[in-house]
Amino acid sequence: MLKKSLLSKVLFVCFLVPSALIQAAEVNVYSYRQPFLVKPLFDVFTQETGIKVNVVFAKKGMAERLAREGEHSPADILLTTDISRLVELHDNNLLQTVQSEILEQAVPEKFQSKDNTWYALTMRVRNIYSSKRLGNIALNYEDLADPKYKARVCTRSGKHPYNVALVSSMIAEHGEEKTLTWLENLKENLARKPQGSDRGQVQAIHQNLCDLSLGNSYYFGKMLNDEKQKVWANEVNINFPNQANRGAHVNISGVAMAKYAPNSKNALALMEFLVSEKAQQMYAETNMEYPVREGVAVSALVSSWGQFKADELSLETIAKHRKSAIKLLDKAKFDL
Amino acid sequence: MSSGNKNKRWKFLSWLIALALITPVLVMLFSGIGSSTELFSHLWQTVLPTYISNTIQLAILVVTFSILFGVPAAAIISQTNVMGKKYLRWLLMLPLAMPAYLVAYLYTDLFDYAGPVQRFLRASFDWHSPLDYWFFDIRTLLGAAIMIALVLFPYVYMLVRTAFECQDQHLIRASRSLGYSLTQSFMKVSLPLARPAIAVSASLVLMETLADFATVQYFAVNTLTTAIYDTWLEYGDLSTANAIASILMLLILFTVIAEQRARAGQRHQSNRLNNQIKEKKLSVAQHFFAAGFCWLLVIAGFILPFLLLIMMALDYATLEQLNELLSSGFNSLQVAFYVASITTFIALLLSLFKRLHYSKWRDHPLQISGFGYAIPGTVLAMAMLATLGPIDHWLNGVAKLLDITAPGLILSGSIFAIILALVVRFAAIANGTITSGVEQIPASLDLAPASLGVTLNKSIPKVHLPLLKSSIFVAWLLVFVEAMKELPAVLLLRPFNFETLSTQIYQLISDERLEQGAIGALLIVLFGLIPVVYLNKKESSV
Amino acid sequence: MTVLLTLRQLSVALQQKPILSDVNLTLAEGDILGLVGPSGCGKTTLLNTIAGFVEQHKGSISIAPDMVIDANNLIAPEQRNIGMIFQDYALFPHLSVYKNIAFGLNHIDKAEQATRIDTLLSLLKLTDYSERYPHQLSGGQQQRVAIARALAPQPKLLLLDEPFSNIDARLRNELMLELRSLLKKLGITAIFVTHNKDEVFSFADKIAVMHQGRVLQSGTPIDVFHQPSSWLVADFLQIGSWLPVIEGNDECFTAIGNIVKDTIADQRKDNEQQYLLLKPQHIALMPEGEVNVNIEYVRITEHGFHYLLSSLTDDKRLSFEQLSFYSHHVFAQGEKIAIEILPHNYQLFSK
Repeated sequence: MLKKSLLSKVLFVCFLVPSALIQAAEVNVYSYRQPFLVKPLFDVFTQETGIKVNVVFAKKGMAERLAREGEHSPADILLTTDISRLVELHDNNLLQTVQSEILEQAVPEKFQSKDNTWYALTMRVRNIYSSKRLGNIALNYEDLADPKYKARVCTRSGKHPYNVALVSSMIAEHGEEKTLTWLENLKENLARKPQGSDRGQVQAIHQNLCDLSLGNSYYFGKMLNDEKQKVWANEVNINFPNQANRGAHVNISGVAMAKYAPNSKNALALMEFLVSEKAQQMYAETNMEYPVREGVAVSALVSSWGQFKADELSLETIAKHRKSAIKLLDKAKFDL
Repeated sequence: MSSGNKNKRWKFLSWLIALALITPVLVMLFSGIGSSTELFSHLWQTVLPTYISNTIQLAILVVTFSILFGVPAAAIISQTNVMGKKYLRWLLMLPLAMPAYLVAYLYTDLFDYAGPVQRFLRASFDWHSPLDYWFFDIRTLLGAAIMIALVLFPYVYMLVRTAFECQDQHLIRASRSLGYSLTQSFMKVSLPLARPAIAVSASLVLMETLADFATVQYFAVNTLTTAIYDTWLEYGDLSTANAIASILMLLILFTVIAEQRARAGQRHQSNRLNNQIKEKKLSVAQHFFAAGFCWLLVIAGFILPFLLLIMMALDYATLEQLNELLSSGFNSLQVAFYVASITTFIALLLSLFKRLHYSKWRDHPLQISGFGYAIPGTVLAMAMLATLGPIDHWLNGVAKLLDITAPGLILSGSIFAIILALVVRFAAIANGTITSGVEQIPASLDLAPASLGVTLNKSIPKVHLPLLKSSIFVAWLLVFVEAMKELPAVLLLRPFNFETLSTQIYQLISDERLEQGAIGALLIVLFGLIPVVYLNKKESSV
Repeated sequence: MTVLLTLRQLSVALQQKPILSDVNLTLAEGDILGLVGPSGCGKTTLLNTIAGFVEQHKGSISIAPDMVIDANNLIAPEQRNIGMIFQDYALFPHLSVYKNIAFGLNHIDKAEQATRIDTLLSLLKLTDYSERYPHQLSGGQQQRVAIARALAPQPKLLLLDEPFSNIDARLRNELMLELRSLLKKLGITAIFVTHNKDEVFSFADKIAVMHQGRVLQSGTPIDVFHQPSSWLVADFLQIGSWLPVIEGNDECFTAIGNIVKDTIADQRKDNEQQYLLLKPQHIALMPEGEVNVNIEYVRITEHGFHYLLSSLTDDKRLSFEQLSFYSHHVFAQGEKIAIEILPHNYQLFSK
């Protein structure tokens, strides 16, 4: 008896769960973005279209999972937080081409792939946060390796996609050899081993463990809106690096449709929704990001940080240098 | 036993389950063989040696600390009349309910530069910056080792205390009649005799340490687990990741074998609880030190983090969070329930198979099925995808041929994968508990029903199962709690819209926002307390 | 004869329950004392109290020449210089035979240690096993290791807790004789505990019979055997069978004949049922007599046939169920025969 009831439970688990996923009006999302960042958008989407959005979120491993699942993957939409992932998905032939006037028009040329497989949704700047103790200064990424900041720099893991993309842009600018030296000198300047999140670095500045840190733009806004973290954010200035030369490194968050998307129609609807004025505004207002759609204003807070010059380096180039960037980080033993 | 059951279905099922549980391991080992030598040599020349040495250092430190915490605590509780012994005896087990990553986060919060401790110190001594004074840095290898040891030492404490308590007191008396004092006898006789228990518990601690992922990551200590992650996810090279995972498994295997060698031929544990232990009467100063030592462990490993959690929950908890936790809490319970039930059932099936079946290799299925305990959750998750993925594809292929709706990824894309992974990982716990229960059933009871004309099919539910009731319950509870706490495997294998308490808390921790998950963390800890309290209750009623 | 051990009014209580009360004993140097009594009578506790594992709360233990232990001066077991051999031998499983024996010798130098151990090894025929571990030895060998280990520090007094209970019957006698001659050769004073009267009679110089925490009688085995001091002593040692007796004026009546009162040793209490302690050798067949017993049970032994007899009398006060009787005559179960009591120094007891 015991055996039978258990067996039936196992079968229940096997069949009930997936079958729940193959209902009609829905779309399945594999997301690198945290649920609380995108959930409000999905809620509006469901409200408007009646299409249910199923999300599975992970910081890591989504693309690998998609590749393993192959043609039977339930995934329709992929949301990434960085360009390299999109290009990697594209290169591994995991995406499908999307034909949509709406997407074409909403997303500027430089923020979409040439073969219409992926589209950027938002832009984020890799800023340098500096302690108010240092006053107002102009900074380049190269300055982080300056010996005068010895033991005063903090960052999250070098292997984090945001940092990897930055290193890729350095490779594009300076070549591998110089970038390695930069990494090694930067490592010398670190106040502590790379750890934690971008917010954690601002906290470290607040704690007077360091004076400079790397962090994405929107975190500043998020922290100012958080009761506890406001205290940290008030201790720092947000700097747009390299304004006197090539401009600040910019990365994107983006969306693409999985090659074997079972709900491609709904998926397209979701993609089009995400670039709509409404959604882009939400990105700007609630997520403090820079919307890609022209004509959508950034939030008041973000605009108070001022205009900035962005590095014009193409997204594809950044993605191209990704593997070399990781290898350089290993070589410099950046995280060790 | 020469006679025994010859049921073929039973034999077939036992072997099938054992093979099913070992398959992911084999798949992983084989896929590691075809790894890219270019990437491997790059890693070898750059970071891998540091990862390996970090891993070994961490393992050695955690085991050392666990022994330094656990063995004296076991000795104090079992051998002396220390003050408050009645309470300390079970309080010392409570840290088991705390996931290490939680303790790590809470302590970092407490002892960080911005934490209350250092703030207080700065305020009282008029210091202003980190340069003004020295304070230990908790986010180091040593810090991680201490954090992990703080929640794992109860394994050592429990097993070694039991070993002390079951020791033949005549041995101590013999030693005393030969001129050794109580303390000397403890050092010369009790401690050497407890060596097997120390070795077993140390190997448990070791496996848990190597499986840890969240704590070391939070502390930025790069171990082999990190390397596996990196290689797989950053370099996108699964087979090299598998190769590194195989190194990790070899490390584990090596220690397990070394441990078994070390205590070969040293089987002399009696199993009766001895209540005539001559307690050492402590002086006032000794009371102070002994009780202080135990209380420090209890406070550091449980009470303090628990209070911190409660304070956080009181400060930050909202109804909305509770609502969110409800669904992930339900998921946690669901997963833990299935995993606990399945492992317990398998353990029963296999340990009774070993005990009662006629077949020549009857103890092998049990051994084989326990092997997964040595595999870290991350590795196991990868192995699970590598194993179930192809099966899913095959199933879909068959469906296509038969012209029916493709079932999709019914194995690798559902909580089946999570449950199977956790069953593989925790089978050993249930196996151990139930096997020891089975061993306590007198052999004559296997035969007695037959002599009364009752067949085995009827005698198992009538004789063995009732006798195993409490072992079954304990096994179920232990696995249940472990499954609640497990993180890395669940993290990688989650289906859509599926969060558990541990994955949710982990995400909040990695955003430095544990406050908002404090209630969930409390839930995990409270569930973890159930078996600890139950085990203690059962023991005191014996 | 020097006295080695004196127990005076020794009392022990565990959890408020008296285990030993008012125990008085003396033991001369070189003597072997057998402590007997039914299980739970306190004999092992007495041994453990002497060894120091159990605390006395009244009375004293004196060990010659100058150690006096009382409740205010409890000397730790390790300072008493008393050797002990345990029922289960308690050999250290993690040490070899050699190291087990050497365990108590850590105070003396290595060379002396080696000579002493070698002597013991050869004395106890263990030389070939010195590097083995306890679990690799037979029961008899283990016991010899336990003896060697206890003797190695040359204790003043050796305590043995049921030393032969784990050894099978055939080997037991052999080992007992072996150990006794060894102890005698080394002149060791020893106390051993047993519940087997045969062991006492073949192993001990002195015997002490205990019951409910008290020593009922002590003395040489022969004295105790001939003059048991109470019903309990005689009954535990199974010295003879019990025959109910009714007292008359000059004679006493039993179911198998009368006995003259003059020769009765006075051990009885008034107003209670009296029993005659009747040893088998004081029973004779009465071929011509009127049948008075029924054969209940027949057993064949090395001393001939052993019969258990029940009385045929109608008098409830005199009837008995189990009277031991040895004979070379063959009787069948259920056969009725006539027996009589041979004249001897009669001993009457009440329960």
